[in-house]
Formats: sequence, C-alpha cells, structure tokens
Amino acid sequence: MIYTRKSPALLMMGLIMLGIWYLFESGLLSGYIGHLGGAKYKYTGEIATVPLYFGIFSVAVGIWQWQAKPREGHLDYYLSTVAGAMFILLIAMLVRWFLAPEIAVASQALGKIGNTGKHLHTILGLNYVVLGILTGIIIVNVFKIPGWAENGVRLSRLGLKTGVILLGTLYSAAELKNLGGLSIVMIGFFVLGSVGLVLWIGTRMKIPSSMGGVLSAGMGVCGVSATVAAAPVVQAKSVEIAYTIGTILLWGVGCMFVFPIVGHLLDMSHVQFGAWAGTGILNSAQVAGAALAYQPDGIETLKVAEIFNITRVLVLPIIVLWLAVWYVKREEVAAAQQVNVARVTFEKFPIFVLGFILLFALSTTGVFAPANHYKGKYFGNTTESGFKQENLLSHEQTAQLAEESSKIQRQDRQQALQRLIDHGKVMSIEDDDVLRGLINAKVLSKEANKTLKKAHKSVRHTAKKIKAFRDWITWLFAFGLVGLGMQITVSAMRQAGGQPAIIGGIVGAIKAGLSLVVVMLFISETV
Amino acid sequence: MKNILLASHGTEGALAAENKVLEMCAPGVRVTHLLVIPEFWKDMLGDDWLNNSSTRKRFEHYLEMELSRETNGHLRRVRDRLSKTSADSAHEVVLGKPDQCLTDACEQSAYNLVVMGSPRPKRSRGLRSQMMTRHVTRRLKTPLLVVPHPCG
Repeated sequence: MIYTRKSPALLMMGLIMLGIWYLFESGLLSGYIGHLGGAKYKYTGEIATVPLYFGIFSVAVGIWQWQAKPREGHLDYYLSTVAGAMFILLIAMLVRWFLAPEIAVASQALGKIGNTGKHLHTILGLNYVVLGILTGIIIVNVFKIPGWAENGVRLSRLGLKTGVILLGTLYSAAELKNLGGLSIVMIGFFVLGSVGLVLWIGTRMKIPSSMGGVLSAGMGVCGVSATVAAAPVVQAKSVEIAYTIGTILLWGVGCMFVFPIVGHLLDMSHVQFGAWAGTGILNSAQVAGAALAYQPDGIETLKVAEIFNITRVLVLPIIVLWLAVWYVKREEVAAAQQVNVARVTFEKFPIFVLGFILLFALSTTGVFAPANHYKGKYFGNTTESGFKQENLLSHEQTAQLAEESSKIQRQDRQQALQRLIDHGKVMSIEDDDVLRGLINAKVLSKEANKTLKKAHKSVRHTAKKIKAFRDWITWLFAFGLVGLGMQITVSAMRQAGGQPAIIGGIVGAIKAGLSLVVVMLFISETV
Repeated sequence: MKNILLASHGTEGALAAENKVLEMCAPGVRVTHLLVIPEFWKDMLGDDWLNNSSTRKRFEHYLEMELSRETNGHLRRVRDRLSKTSADSAHEVVLGKPDQCLTDACEQSAYNLVVMGSPRPKRSRGLRSQMMTRHVTRRLKTPLLVVPHPCG
C-alpha cells in the first residue's frame, strides 16, 4: 500500500514557513512585531530559526511528495506523516507567534478586569496552547482533516510522549520525591474514590456492569485513555462506549477552559494548580492543556501536572485488572474467562514512562546539568562553575550589609551573612538557601535586600542543555496538543448522554470541587 | 410501490418503520434495507495519547467486533422478517453520515419510496446520529414516509 498522497500541500507549507522567516529577517515584519509588543515580544529568537529549518525540510520533502513516484515500503510510510506533522507545526507557529499575541494586545487595550489586577486573556487563559487546541478542534469539525495530513496528525501522540520523556530532565531528585509522594496520595485517594463512587452510584441506578466498569475507569483514572483500555476488558457495549467517551471529552474540554480561570481568580501557585489539574481534570490530554494554559511561558505547572498524569497512567493497569476481576466475578456470562494478569499488565504498561525515568536518572548523574540542580538551575561560586568575578560584591555593598547585620536575630542567618561579607559572594548552597530566607523575611532595608538578591543570582546558573530541553518540551507539547485538538470531534462529544452523563456529571463535579478544597487547604505554594 | 428503501438500524423508531414496510410487502415489491454505521465511530479514540499501540489496536478490534455483532443482528432480524413476506429483499451496509448515505443511496438507485422512523424522543436511550436532517429534506427527490415513533 502507498501511504503518501500526491499533493503540493507540504511544499506550499514549506514556502509559507520560509516566507515568515524572510519577512522577519528582512525587517518587513518589524512594524507588526512592534504592534505585538516590540521589545517585550518574546518570540523573535524562535522566528529567526524555527521556520527556516522546518521550511527547508518541508520544501525538500514537499517536492518529493508532489513530483516523485513513491514506492511501497517503510520510507513511504514515514515520509507520508511529514505533511500532517508540518500542518500541525505551521498552525502552532501561527498561533504562538501571531494569533495569541494579537489577542493579548486586544485584551490589554481593554484594561485590567475589575479588582483582579489581570487582563481578560490571562483570566480566560487565551494563550497559544488553548488557542492552538481550539484551532485544531475547529479545523477537524468545520473543514475536516485533509487526506494528505491524516497520517501525520496521529503523530501528535508521539509529540506528547516525547515531551513527557524530555520532561524527565527537569526534575531534581528532591522535587520528584516530593511531587511523587504528593501525587500518589492525591491520585490514590481520588482515583480509588471516583472508581468506587461510580460503581456505587451505578449499582444504585441499576446500570449494566459493563457500563459501570467502563465509566468508572474513564471517570476515575485518565479519561478516554482509561476507557479505551478498559472497554474490551469489561465487554462494554458500543453505545456505552459512545456515551462514556462523549461525556469525558465534553467534560475534559470544558475543564480545560474553566480550570485556568478558577486558578487565576484564586491566585493559585504553580504547584497548587498543577496538582489540582492533575487530579480534578478527567482526561489526561486536557491536564497538559490546562497546565500550559495556566502558565504558557513556563513549565513549572506542567511539571507538577505531568507527574500526576504519570501516576495516573501507572495506576491504569491496576485499575483495569481490578475491573476485570470485578466484572468476571459479577457477570456469570464472563465467568469462563480467566483474567490474564501478566498480559493485562504488560499491554497496559506505559512504556514511555520508562523513557521519562531514564532521562531523570541521566539528569541526576550530571549529564545535562550539575547533579545538584534545582529546576534546571545549579549553584556555582567558582569561575569553573560559571561564577563571574565582576559579580563579587563591592566594598560599599558589603559595608552596608555589615552595618545592618545587627538587625538579624537568627544565628544561622548572621553566620551566612558574615561569610558573604567576608568573601563578597555566597559560599555554599546552604548559605544561599538561608540568605533567601533572610530576603523573604524583609528584615533588612530594601537596598540591602537588593544586594542579597544580586549575590543570589550571581551563584545560580541555568544549564544550557536544560534550557534547550525546556524549549523542545514547550514545542512538543504545543505540537501534541494542537494535533490532539484535531482528534476531538463534536460528533463524538455529542454522544454524551444517558446515565453516564448523569453519573459522570456528579462524580466529575465532586472530584473537581473536592480536589480544589484539598489542594487549597493542604498543598503549600512550593515543593 | 415497487421499490422501497427501508432505512433502519434497529432503534425503536426504525422498528416502527420496519413494521410499516412489512405492511406494504406484496408480490413484485422489492425492499432494500439500508443500514448506516455512523462515521463518528472512527473518532472514538478521541484524544487518547497515553495508551500504547497494542492497547489502541485491541480497542479498535473490540469496537469493530461489537459493531459487527450489532450490525449482523439487525441485518438478520430484518432479513428474517422480510423473508416471511412475498417481497424481494436486498441489504446494504455503509459507513458514513446517515443523512448523506441516504441521499447517496437514492441517487444511485430509483426508489419509489423511502421509509424511515422518527427521531427518538428526548431523554430516551440511543446514539445521537440522526438521519432525518435538513440535508435529507433538501436533497431527497424520492417520496419520504416518516413513521411516527412508538413512544409518541
């Protein structure tokens, strides 16, 4: 079978990308960039490189797809995905660089909303992630995915999985330990709670076991993915699958828009929002979407949310096994079937999580950044580790700190400050932590605190490889989410209905509300 | 009425349409049973991205088997019912948008009458995939009989 569709589409997309690059490089876009924010516009570095590389690649493959006669084989199959992948990428570029900033400009012109201190686009989360997903949803539902793009659109899953794997490089051991522990407790409670609640309500409403089984997996674990995994195991009827997936998609898309708004209104920290989205949103794709919608220009929220997503997917084989045993016990018709524990576990195990663990393990060895890095930043007060001698505190600055040191009560702070005064730089990572505590305590004058902040910044360095990983992760998630948007159809969401919609509504609302309360009460702003 | 197209996929409304067609069956009448599998089933993987390909394939295979089992059940039932009459019968199964498939079928063959059931009443169990749409009323050139739903 030949997979490549003969079409000039990829060539045209390549030319558009090169056109964007040329307009930018020649300065013809300067006026428009000025309108979008001028010096504050953050994407000039990306526009100067990304469309050039991908434009050349698209033109080269595009000419081949249009003119050459493909032969059956692996090369034809893999190259047939390029057009769809570039289609998603082009949309992500246009939305990230132009549409989202344009909406931000329009929103800023309206002024801040009430006493929230925030602009409308921030509150509504109208950034490149949400707009990208929306664009994907509009394309698939209004125009349909063109035939030449169908194969490549499926690659969006690979984009997200690769993004999660690379995310493994950004966690420190302490972060992963704290977030992992938190997610196990939260997910354990809410997954088991919602699975149990759905089964209980299902029994009360006398729904078939197959419907209860498939719905509980979807509502409890990770939405559509869990439904897909559990449906064959509990022998769900087609209408039950349609009801469940429709309900979950509708809830998921709704939550992706509502969660960031609530998060901004409650002024949640990145950790709090990531934990809430990771627990309260039913569908795993929308967890990533909501996290990036909440914090589009950083990945701290995504890091927290994805740990919760990973915990959920690791729980999936256990839940599927539980449901299989539950279903076999409950339904005489299935009693003859044996639950093959090994097969279910092997089939449902998310292999990409191993990639995440591998990259995390590699990052702890110091391959990408010094092993003691925290959020990609590491401590270094020697020239070899990145400290610049011109950042040594001046005599005037140390004199001022010495003068104010009598205001400090705590001995550890006094000692750390004294070492800073003696050497003109922070002497250890422990001192750095103590001095940051001193800054937050606001014991010293503003000027002295400014000096302490300067001393802190000069010993904290961002690893170049980590920065590159961050950029890649952002693009992989943007790519993946736009592509997943192209797989959310209104006709599938319209199937939401029947008893699953009622049960789903009850359990989904309880899960979202209760997890919000737990997060606000028990989760601190940092980990 | 020599050539009747019966659009039925086993819902309560469609069963009422089947009953009406059975009343019309007589020697020389040919009934073509059109069964449409709605194309939204292709989108039922939704935005799943966590599962590996074996789980997705297993789900797709399972769903295909389920739909095939249901489809064969409907076909068997209609075939059995029609075989007890003196009419000739034919069966056609297509995948697509129900309304589009209906108008396509009518454009491909010359039917004297199209018979279908009414849309199901609100709050009753079933898929949201209507055949009786504006597209049908605009495009269909064959006389159309919409049989009232048994629940009113």
